[in-house]
Amino acid sequence: MVTVTRVDTVVQTRGLTKDYGPVLALDSLDLEIGAGTTGLVGANGAGKSTLLKILLGLVPPTGGGARVLGHDIATEGPAIRGLVGYLPEHDCLPPDVSASDFVVHLAMMSGLPRVAARERAAEVLRHVGLAEERYRPMGGYSTGMKQKAKLAQALAHDPRLVLLDEPTNGLDPAAREEMLGLVQRIGRDFGIAVIVTSHLLGELERVSDHVVVLDGGRLLRASRTDEFLDATGVLLVEVLGEDAQARMADALNRAGVATVPRGRMLTVDAAARTSGETDVHDLIRDTAGDLGLGLVRLQVDHRRIEDVFADGEVLRG
Amino acid sequence: MAEQPSTDPTAATPAGASVIHDLGYRPYTGPRLGPAAIARALVVTGFRNAFGLGRSGKSKVLPFILLGINLMPALVIGGVMVFVGLKELPIGYAQYASTTQVLLGIFVASQAPVLFSRDLRHGTISLYLARPLPSRTYALARWASLLGATLVFLLLPILLLYAVALLGELDFGTQTGDAAVAVALAVLLALSLTGVAGLVASWSTRRGFAVVATIALLLIGNGIVTAIQGISGEEGHPRVGEVAGLFSPYSLYRGLMSTWTDTDGPTPPTGTAMQAAYLVVLVALSAACVGGLVWRYRKVATA
Repeated sequence: MVTVTRVDTVVQTRGLTKDYGPVLALDSLDLEIGAGTTGLVGANGAGKSTLLKILLGLVPPTGGGARVLGHDIATEGPAIRGLVGYLPEHDCLPPDVSASDFVVHLAMMSGLPRVAARERAAEVLRHVGLAEERYRPMGGYSTGMKQKAKLAQALAHDPRLVLLDEPTNGLDPAAREEMLGLVQRIGRDFGIAVIVTSHLLGELERVSDHVVVLDGGRLLRASRTDEFLDATGVLLVEVLGEDAQARMADALNRAGVATVPRGRMLTVDAAARTSGETDVHDLIRDTAGDLGLGLVRLQVDHRRIEDVFADGEVLRG
Repeated sequence: MAEQPSTDPTAATPAGASVIHDLGYRPYTGPRLGPAAIARALVVTGFRNAFGLGRSGKSKVLPFILLGINLMPALVIGGVMVFVGLKELPIGYAQYASTTQVLLGIFVASQAPVLFSRDLRHGTISLYLARPLPSRTYALARWASLLGATLVFLLLPILLLYAVALLGELDFGTQTGDAAVAVALAVLLALSLTGVAGLVASWSTRRGFAVVATIALLLIGNGIVTAIQGISGEEGHPRVGEVAGLFSPYSLYRGLMSTWTDTDGPTPPTGTAMQAAYLVVLVALSAACVGGLVWRYRKVATA
């Protein structure tokens, strides 16, 4: 197993601002994105797609600046676009061309000679999992196959960074899993930095090393995914039995442990217990035993990325 | 597994990056060509696409039928020359394009959307713009593809007639001179038609709309101008017709043709100033359309 050890900054923005007049798409954004897979999270209109277009050097920012792979977006757009692959959110495939011909053509548009473009196209189409169907016109493809063809063209020229705008949009669960697996492999095994956007946060938890949260064109939070998901010191308890939840809560409260019901479960804040020396895990186990209830769940409560939005609301209060 | 290209293996892999071979992904380490080579590849692909090559089978039908019909008169003339033996060509080189102008209009109108509307309609334009070529170069490359296809359409019959004339042992000097003038006129006509059709197609994501709008602009515009020229010639006000001739690429072509060759149109431009105006307007129209294309794609890129 070889690990990719690149610590270079892939994207760096300083005070990046895009003012569309009525809409402030990006509000003096300071951001640093490294190698690996970075998830870009935000509601619709949070500035994700605008940020990607600015990073490609296509749309000029109204303030601030950014460097992509060491190149300035204002003056070195063509150099950046030679090193970056882009999967747009919307449709971009001509229906009367085969995936094979299309990827060859776009590899050549990135500067590969024809023979090399053919080789690369065959290789990336194999990696994304388009087999015999790559010789058929793309008009007849399923959404999953279209997304694969779009991904293949983004990888055709062996970029150092790929920008994937909503790659799982419109996919059924099986195709979604496959696409997420591919995204993960690109970042981890191919050694290509990935910036992937999605409005489904659960997806990004799984595939990305870092998560950047945008809200209204501002940076809400940027950190490693595992930091987002740090244990919160809260335990989840689920018991079975007659009136189990109320009796369990009652008993734990009497033992000096505060509980909050969540659905069919109880949450116990292990840090906030008021008395007693016994380990809180033991206490819960013994309490359930004493009451004759079946303890079916006792686990650490991991946060989900959604919680960050709630935190953000509080922070900006 | 194919061989790695025999170039510097570190060329496309920055120092410090460890590269994975065992998992199957191989980085590309070969050469990366500059914008000139990329633009050339785009022009060639576009030129092929304009004739339906590299696209579906049925997209080859229309361009090749039009090309075939366009060559038919030249082939018939060739046959007549061989079997009968005429003292001169029954139709002038430059006159040929004027005779087949409807075919030419349909060809340009139907194939310009292939190069311009298709990328806009299917969103492919954003993939081109996310690559090294600037939007300006993309626009010029597309324009060059259409210009090339239009020139093939215009120059093939001239070439055929010229070959027939030489085989029929007509005077070499006269024929070469006439053919050269026709080629110059054909280039001017191709420049203007390509500009107009390309600009219309670049504003339309719908192929049908672009075809209809271009045909309306070229053929109906020419029809109106021809009518005005005919009436003004009959009524004894040729100047009106001369001015009207400035408003359509076809009538500009006819005007210059009657100036530079000994064929006569309804109201040919008289006087050096008017003749110069015909040339200037034709060139300026072509240039303005190219400028419009470049401007249009800059807007698309930053949208």
